[in-house]
Amino acid sequence: MDRRSLLTKVFEPHPASPGALRYTNAVLRTQNNEAVKFYDDLIRGKQCVINFMYAECHGSCPAVTQTLKTIYRTLKDRMGNDLFFYSITIKPENDTPTALKHYATTRNADLPGWYFLTGDAYDLKTIRYRLFNMDHPGLDADEALHSGYLRLINDARNSWGMAQAFASNKNILNRIAWQDPPKTYAENVVAYRKVQEKIMQDVKKYGYRRDI
Amino acid sequence: MPKKKAKDRQDNTEGTISRRSVLKIGAAAGAATVVAPHLLGNGTALGFTGEPPAEPAVRCVNTVPATPSPAHRPFIDNFAAPFPAIPTFLSPTPQEFQNSGAGEAPRAPHQRWAQFPMDVTYEMDAKAGLHKFHADYGDTYIWGFNGKYPAPTVLNVYGHPTGVRFRNSLPAVTTTFGRNEMTIHLHNGHHGSESDGFAGDFFATGFWKDHLYPNCYAGLDAFGGNGDTKEKMGSFWFHDHRAEFTLNNNVLGMNGMFLVYDPTDPGHELPIGPSLRLPGYYGITDFPIILTDKRFCATDPVSGRTEMVNAAGGDKWVINGKIQPKLTVRRRKYRFRFLNTGPTQTYDITLIKPDGSVGTMTVIATDANFLQNPLPVDAGAGAGNSNSTTAPIVPGAIRVSVAERYDVVIDFGAFEHGSKLYLRENRPMFVGNPSPDPLPGTLAIENVLMQFNVVNREWWFPPDTPAIPATLCTYPTLPATDNTWEWQFVLAGGRFRVKRPFDAGLGCVFDPDHSAHCILRGTTEEWLINNNIASGWLHPVHIHFEEFRTLKRFVNGVEVPVPPLHSGRKDVTRMEAGQGALIKMQFRDYNGRYLIHCHNMGHEDNFMMVRWDICPDLASLNACLADQQVCQLEMEAKERFREEMA
Repeated sequence: MDRRSLLTKVFEPHPASPGALRYTNAVLRTQNNEAVKFYDDLIRGKQCVINFMYAECHGSCPAVTQTLKTIYRTLKDRMGNDLFFYSITIKPENDTPTALKHYATTRNADLPGWYFLTGDAYDLKTIRYRLFNMDHPGLDADEALHSGYLRLINDARNSWGMAQAFASNKNILNRIAWQDPPKTYAENVVAYRKVQEKIMQDVKKYGYRRDI
Repeated sequence: MPKKKAKDRQDNTEGTISRRSVLKIGAAAGAATVVAPHLLGNGTALGFTGEPPAEPAVRCVNTVPATPSPAHRPFIDNFAAPFPAIPTFLSPTPQEFQNSGAGEAPRAPHQRWAQFPMDVTYEMDAKAGLHKFHADYGDTYIWGFNGKYPAPTVLNVYGHPTGVRFRNSLPAVTTTFGRNEMTIHLHNGHHGSESDGFAGDFFATGFWKDHLYPNCYAGLDAFGGNGDTKEKMGSFWFHDHRAEFTLNNNVLGMNGMFLVYDPTDPGHELPIGPSLRLPGYYGITDFPIILTDKRFCATDPVSGRTEMVNAAGGDKWVINGKIQPKLTVRRRKYRFRFLNTGPTQTYDITLIKPDGSVGTMTVIATDANFLQNPLPVDAGAGAGNSNSTTAPIVPGAIRVSVAERYDVVIDFGAFEHGSKLYLRENRPMFVGNPSPDPLPGTLAIENVLMQFNVVNREWWFPPDTPAIPATLCTYPTLPATDNTWEWQFVLAGGRFRVKRPFDAGLGCVFDPDHSAHCILRGTTEEWLINNNIASGWLHPVHIHFEEFRTLKRFVNGVEVPVPPLHSGRKDVTRMEAGQGALIKMQFRDYNGRYLIHCHNMGHEDNFMMVRWDICPDLASLNACLADQQVCQLEMEAKERFREEMA
């Protein structure tokens, strides 16, 4: 859980990444009260899952946190190495680093590679717009609407994805996998062979490819 | 059955001859001068290919607020149809089962392989290329089939099964906004799921996949042979369907047209057999109009390239790959096949006559299907094809939302030599230069899609076709309904979802691994499709696999008459804010996974899409039902947790 794991490893961004221009380099604070630059320290060259929440939220935020905790278990080996979770508050006026620390620890979510972030209200709003902009004034202004949404980023691949926090965990894991670093041809050959075996079993048993 | 098949083929030989005659007449028409450079360029289709162009050196990113594209001079480029795809022999030979040893991506064996041996094969090699969108622009980096945008048009004939090898030669590492994985959907072919480009079946660079397009009519099980000829379709298109990146890859250029001819619509204008004698020489009197919108960065002084911005929402309307082109038309009838490739915009298109008034476009087909009776759309009686209350349509316009096709006939015979007509889109684009020609009436250059220059017909140009027949076809009779179902296209909790009748919660998001609805092969269903939201979103809802009929339309839950242009067979039903439709559709001849989704590519990439399966038998159906997508349960579990926490 130390900041070193985040900062010492060299992460190479994709040459086409819009970088701080899109993500901003706003200085945020983690639940451990460490100052981090949003793009340089958190996004640059990394793969991450971002959601918005606030500590006092009794609606969907705890449910999303619970979902993230569940998928964290599956992704444990990668967490903090090449995959990170960022839960960003939408109520920085209440959510100090201490409050977020309390939120994380009481939910057993204070885990390596998972950062709860707060900062300047204007910065956080900017970040929220940059990440979740739907080009719809009504929707974009409504903070609550972003709570069910996970933004998936792999800056090393300059790739953006999305998952709905209320979809099945398998569905979310699948979406995160779509952001993984590209496989080599040889890796794909092996992976496709497995898929093909399953297809042929399905066709024999059910009459068509099911992929279930 | 073999005998019937031989007969079908005989019937269709006319089509084959007609295609040759098209080319012959094309050559005689002197169109060869236009065609020849394309022909050379199309050598890439045959595999004579150079190195792919370098990716953009300078990043062209979206700015807030958006920067206008570079100015262009109107009516400089010529409007032309994409060159026809050239059949090629495929090596290794296509086979029923996946050819993993040779690099074929995973797929189920081709269904009806023995019944539909491929008569003709094509290779569509998806790769990087350069395209000039306007003479005032430098080259633009695109991804296209055989490196072209738009892709070469596949011209096919019913009764002649086709194999298309989609090869992924996209860059293994890319700095563009595209995703170098693809799965190609033929919209809206009646074929096996393994050839349907299911959104989750994408494959990586270096692999390829053979699609078998039987070019059959739906109804194979019931009618035998090549199916029910009343199921004839015409204007198909193919495009990348990679889940989550459909928009990006289509903006980069991965789409094209696919026309299928039959004896009533044979691709020629000669009085042979049951031909309706509609304007029909591809690229001469019959043109696709492939619409998209793009935004460009200023031409880079170093590379000389004019790159496109990595986002939807352009300020240049592009048709057949050109901005505000011009077309010389003879004083006769022409057929235009509107296709909106999106990614998100809806067009309201009117024809503007030289006196500034709205002209008549006679709609002969909606999506790929003839209307039973052609419908003239003008500012008067036939005005418009939308009953939207939130976005009223321009009088005389045809509203084309993403993936919809409208085939229209425009008769230039009534206009004098030297007169100019215009296609008008209701939203203005950025032009930056005045019109070189005085525009009629109140028409602004920013609204012009393209210009028609009317000239007298030369001796060598095909003479006018007879009047459009009052009856174009007879629709098949639909069998009794076996099941009813409902899909609500909703924005719930701020997210795009598709909700089923029993989803008490928020509804489903796309899950490639689970079916949201299981259907027994050979049954007929009525689906109520609803867009019950007041947010103003428009959802062009597309159903794969077969054409449907619209039984009822609703606005805010109240039944309204079905607008004439929704009354025909279609495969996209446009759901404007608050609208609903009751449609009826058959599920037959093939098994497998298909999709219903919103074709606004921004919405489908945000998972406004669900999978439905056609199961061959009851055992398979029960297995499908047992594993049906449990959006509701999953949601309920999470909702319960949410309540506990509250």
